[in-house]
Amino acid sequence: MSRPVSPSVSQTASPTASRLVALLTATDDATRHRSLDGAVAGLAPAELLAECAALDAFRATTDNLYERVRALFFLQAIHRYHLAARADALPAGGRIPHDGQQLLLDRRFEEAIGRFRAALESEGPSEALCSALAAAYRGLAFQTLADQVRRSVRSVRGNQWMFRCGHPLDQPLQLRAELLQRDATGRFPLLRERTPVRMDLTHCGWSDIFFLGMDYPEGARVLNVSIDLGVHGRDAAPAPPVETFLRVIDAPVIRLTSVDLGATADLGELPLLFDFARDYLGLLKAALLAAGVVPPGIEGSGTSLRELLERLVGPGRGLELISHVRAIPKGSRLAVSTTLLGSLISLCMRATGQSRTLTGMLDEAERRTCAARAILGEWLGGSGGGWQDSGGLWPGIKLIEGVAAAPGDPEHGLSRGRLLPRHTLLGRERVPESARAKLARSLVLVHGGMAQNVGPILEMVTEKYLLRSDREWRARQETGAILEQLMAALASGDVKALADATTRNFFGPITTIIPQATNAFTERVIEQVRARFGARFQGFWMLGGMSGGGMGFIFEPERASDGGADGAGSGGGMSGARGGDPLAATKRELQAILSAAKRELEEALPFAMEPVVYDFAINECGTFADLVPIEAEAAALPSGYAPLRARAGGAAAAATASAAAAPAKSGGANAKSPSGTSAAGAAGAASLDELLAQLGFDRVEHEQIRADLVAGRIGLAQNRLSQHAVVRDVESGDVADLRGGAPADDVARGEAALRRGEVAIVTLAAGAGSRWSGGANVVKALFPFAKLGGRFRSFLDVHVAKSRRIARESGVALPHFVTTSTFTHAALERHLARTAEQDGSAAADADRDVPLRLSPGRAVGLRLIPMERDLRFAWEETRHQRLDVQAQKVRESLHAALIGWARAAGEGSDYRDNLPLQCLHPVGHFYELPNLLKNGALAALLRERPHLSTLLLHNIDTLGADADAGLLGRHLRHVAEGGALTFEVIARQLEDRGGGLARVDGRLRLVEGLALPREEQELELRWYNSMTTWIDVDALLACFGLTRAQLLAAAPDDATVAAAVRRVAAQLPTYVTLKDVKKRWGHGQEDVFPVTQFEKLWSDLTALPNLACRFVAVPRVRGQQLKDPAQLDPWLRDGSAAAITARCAF
Amino acid sequence: MKIRKAVITAAGPEQRELPLQRLVDRDGAAKSALRLLLDEAAAAGIGEVALVVHPDDRQRYLAAAGDAPAPGSAAPRVTCLSQPAPRGYADALLQARAFVGDEPFLHLVGDHLFLPRGATRPAAELVAVAEREGAAVSAVQATREAHLREYGAVGGPRVPGKERLFAIDAVVEKPTPTEAEQKLFVPGLRAGHYLCFFGMHVLPAALFEPLAVALHAAADPRKVSLTEALATLPGRARWLALEVEATRFNLGEKYGLLIAQLALGLSGDDRDDVLAQVTELLLAREKGRASR
Repeated sequence: MSRPVSPSVSQTASPTASRLVALLTATDDATRHRSLDGAVAGLAPAELLAECAALDAFRATTDNLYERVRALFFLQAIHRYHLAARADALPAGGRIPHDGQQLLLDRRFEEAIGRFRAALESEGPSEALCSALAAAYRGLAFQTLADQVRRSVRSVRGNQWMFRCGHPLDQPLQLRAELLQRDATGRFPLLRERTPVRMDLTHCGWSDIFFLGMDYPEGARVLNVSIDLGVHGRDAAPAPPVETFLRVIDAPVIRLTSVDLGATADLGELPLLFDFARDYLGLLKAALLAAGVVPPGIEGSGTSLRELLERLVGPGRGLELISHVRAIPKGSRLAVSTTLLGSLISLCMRATGQSRTLTGMLDEAERRTCAARAILGEWLGGSGGGWQDSGGLWPGIKLIEGVAAAPGDPEHGLSRGRLLPRHTLLGRERVPESARAKLARSLVLVHGGMAQNVGPILEMVTEKYLLRSDREWRARQETGAILEQLMAALASGDVKALADATTRNFFGPITTIIPQATNAFTERVIEQVRARFGARFQGFWMLGGMSGGGMGFIFEPERASDGGADGAGSGGGMSGARGGDPLAATKRELQAILSAAKRELEEALPFAMEPVVYDFAINECGTFADLVPIEAEAAALPSGYAPLRARAGGAAAAATASAAAAPAKSGGANAKSPSGTSAAGAAGAASLDELLAQLGFDRVEHEQIRADLVAGRIGLAQNRLSQHAVVRDVESGDVADLRGGAPADDVARGEAALRRGEVAIVTLAAGAGSRWSGGANVVKALFPFAKLGGRFRSFLDVHVAKSRRIARESGVALPHFVTTSTFTHAALERHLARTAEQDGSAAADADRDVPLRLSPGRAVGLRLIPMERDLRFAWEETRHQRLDVQAQKVRESLHAALIGWARAAGEGSDYRDNLPLQCLHPVGHFYELPNLLKNGALAALLRERPHLSTLLLHNIDTLGADADAGLLGRHLRHVAEGGALTFEVIARQLEDRGGGLARVDGRLRLVEGLALPREEQELELRWYNSMTTWIDVDALLACFGLTRAQLLAAAPDDATVAAAVRRVAAQLPTYVTLKDVKKRWGHGQEDVFPVTQFEKLWSDLTALPNLACRFVAVPRVRGQQLKDPAQLDPWLRDGSAAAITARCAF
Repeated sequence: MKIRKAVITAAGPEQRELPLQRLVDRDGAAKSALRLLLDEAAAAGIGEVALVVHPDDRQRYLAAAGDAPAPGSAAPRVTCLSQPAPRGYADALLQARAFVGDEPFLHLVGDHLFLPRGATRPAAELVAVAEREGAAVSAVQATREAHLREYGAVGGPRVPGKERLFAIDAVVEKPTPTEAEQKLFVPGLRAGHYLCFFGMHVLPAALFEPLAVALHAAADPRKVSLTEALATLPGRARWLALEVEATRFNLGEKYGLLIAQLALGLSGDDRDDVLAQVTELLLAREKGRASR
């Protein structure tokens, strides 16, 4: 073990003497762009702490925004990756001050840092404190960046006035006269805007996100193409995917309709326009605000919408806004939502005279204003992408580049770059018609069917850029060269060279900068396309962002005559073009490959929909508006519009009168899912009942639980132990600290047991992994989460690989039980069968080193609509990380909408409006081991291996858990001393939420976080439960009142065993929990609902008096659980992945 | 440079009657609004004024111009010019081309009245500045952005060392606030305020050429604004904006005439009397409310 650092941290380097401060303030690029990792390599912890003190002093005084932010990221990374990750160099123990954590949750980062640094000063550094400081510095860094972007967005000229406008009389806009002139039938004209989406030729490594573009404008360059789309085989020809409409109506309301989301509402009060998450109309509201129709400054003014409309449109009149995305699904990586926002803003700008002409194309200044406002709209809506996303407003092909801030720019002196980039249209002189035509004839665009949240990845990319992480920084330099190659290929019309460049870009810089840009699905599809098409497949093109959504495949055209002829126009590749679609057969085959790959992987990866193959054409107009002639109006409006409005019916008028009435009657939160899905829900309900019957669902017990829940006898608040319970941290001697490794005698004892074949592994894989998948219905065990050892590996792969290595070393096979449930069993069974087939073996336990056995568990619960009091408890009484101002507003609005949903759907009633399996829940991991007893799986193994005496139980996501000989030896020592279970714990870091090891009324036990009487007690507990448990089989059986002989004699589902399990279960508390469940609908749309379920948890066994439990502290790399995808990147970076991979035999 | 001539436009179909309305001036004498404008011009040292009017209005305007000038004011010589067809404001101004010749001239719009906040009349100050600077000068006033839709607006830096004087580099007719924010920069002005035209300019005769070109090119001459021609000035001629210390009253607005009269009354010899009557009116209303 390395020497512990001195507790004194005040021996600080002055900023001037600090090597890191010198790096930050260097004017030469070679020093300025040096990576943090390189700069601190070889520094001892005490030296690192001295650098931290210098950096902290520097960042508090420097005026330069990006020096400040980079210093904050340096501080974050040093604490997270160079101190907390080197726990062997820090003294054991250490607590996070609760008041500091509260400040952190309230986004009072500066104060939190002060509190944590004071603790560091007085108590010395510890893993816990370093993790807390890392989180606080990270929070402050992103807050500083976000504040700067917000200021820039608001200070863009043309946006400022909207924030000054606080009263209807301040509204300087007026509707254009043309839109106020009725026709002969008395109707007002209908203005239509049609906008192409954009595709990105370069996948710029997200150099266009504001934090990067504003610091490194010279590196922010993209080639961006405006395109029309059609779904291959469905649409006659490509068309602009986004259509928006505006007209005056004879009612003093704002009528919003999103045709594709099936939502419509008449809004009669101003506050409703600022309530973004209330319904599906948030984007339309954001557009009205960002265009100045409803100026953002008027929020909270207490004035009336009627008055505002009177000034804008005239007395008694209102506005109608309709949006329609022509069935292009979410996650297309084509920036559909930003395009829609831009289209709506353009429409509103035209209508209010903020563009030169009412119809036609926008001019350059207008497009720039519109793009700036799209950024503003995204910020108002609590989201945000990069500046290239509004590229569809511009025509054709363009180069978009970051621009250095100059005197006179609002950004000057604050950041190196401007908020808004420069757009250079690449006309025919730079990309000739023939090249455009070739591209159109060679490229197939697809949507793989996956839609993922890119938020955490955007943060990761920003962080690595500011740290100048070596690999990523080098990759970023490469993207510049590739962009030049792409430009050259376009200029010469060399599609093969273009395909080479996009392919190199994907497998090189893109996946280096953003590992999530690829996944098992993407790579499988590429592999299969390559195998099927051979040399005709010229290259792969990642359309941007994350994997599994929008992608491009470049082929040689099917007919040679179509291969390079000029003059077919830039829409030559689309269906319906001259000579037909030269890639029609290719597209059919590609669709088949995509669908097959999806079928194979859909139980492991979250697909939102069936993959789609597009037809496309380059759009040479950009966003374009026209006035729809009256006779063409019915045909021009989307077909879903009229029925939607008819359904809203008279309710619309009523809704205008009252804010409360609006959601219930016009497609608001209470009607969250668009109509049409309720029929699906009804169909689903029938099969849900069948499933429940098939699974032997205990209706009586369910009704009892419901009655208790509704009556308030159980609930989130009731999960807690009595307020009188005395909860304290452990005492000396309660935990054996084996973080530095077990002694040699333990190791020898363990190795001997392994050689005797006394051990088996129990991998818990019955749960839904809802945090990992965001509530999607996938099997976490099978999720190929990272590329390890050259291939994507699932959680299960990693566990099996570790056991394989141990089995080979000990010379004895190491059996694995994988526990399953209704949710995971069939998928795991299919997976094993497929693996066996691929390995050329007929047996499911193909791997002789690690024979896998499934242990099915069948008990299920039926989810319930949550009680309002539980939702309020979870959201209002439990501390949460506050979000950035606007995002927090959106979250609160969403919470209010979901509470409304719970009330309307019936609190405590069965949750049925989803796929049947999504309505059920596993009943907690306690049951997974007893299921081994009940289903006969353990008995079967005992018959084969009578010497089996120890089980190692671990969660599927505890990636470091394995049959370590030293820990096994220590457990066996415990057993010899009368122990039954040995639990592994890890030193707590800030992210470890959910209880810990405690003395409760004097008794040493694990306590779940939801059972702690007071939240703040959690941080007093230094040890966190990893869930990994060594189990003595006979002692556990004794706890259940069973013997080995009884178990061996019992048949599966034996009543005696079942009664034994029931008896122990009755001694454990039942927790009420809220879980997120996804509901998918439409074209890749997803909603997440909180639902109530019930669980009994494994760690509560430590509270049973007749079960002797011991606790050992293990290194973090062994005990950390990957619950959230945001944990993946730190896990890959902090050495955990490498350490675990080294223990694997793949 | 000496400014000797003024042009007042009053031919618009909506505005024809406005300069003929009678008001009680600050000295207690009843006069036409036109007379008040002529007094404004006279105070600026203007010797000749051309009125551009509808052909049917010549006599009525000449009669109204015959009202006695304000005490101490020399009556300028008045010429009536007809606008043969209602072709808009720019065309009306163009009718004065021959009258102006090649001299710079003061231009007032006929539907406005101007009231100084201090002793100096705005037209007098404007003309003095134009003569001193040897430049075209437009009177402007800082106006809240909510009213941008009513006026032409200009942007430009302050002229160093000169109070309330700006070198105009951009002009936009009735801009949206978005356009104003992007194009009209005026250092030192309160946020949300722009320099909007006051209805009073000293213009060069050279302006008639671009005005004629714009009219010739326009599909609808009524839609051509003076601003279009003014927009050709920056870069070609020195053009300044003077932020005048005065108030303008648009007689064509709802209650415009009433407000203008009140302003005159409350700033003149009969101030106490007017104030007493207004107060009585207000009290009577309050009493009526109370008794209900």
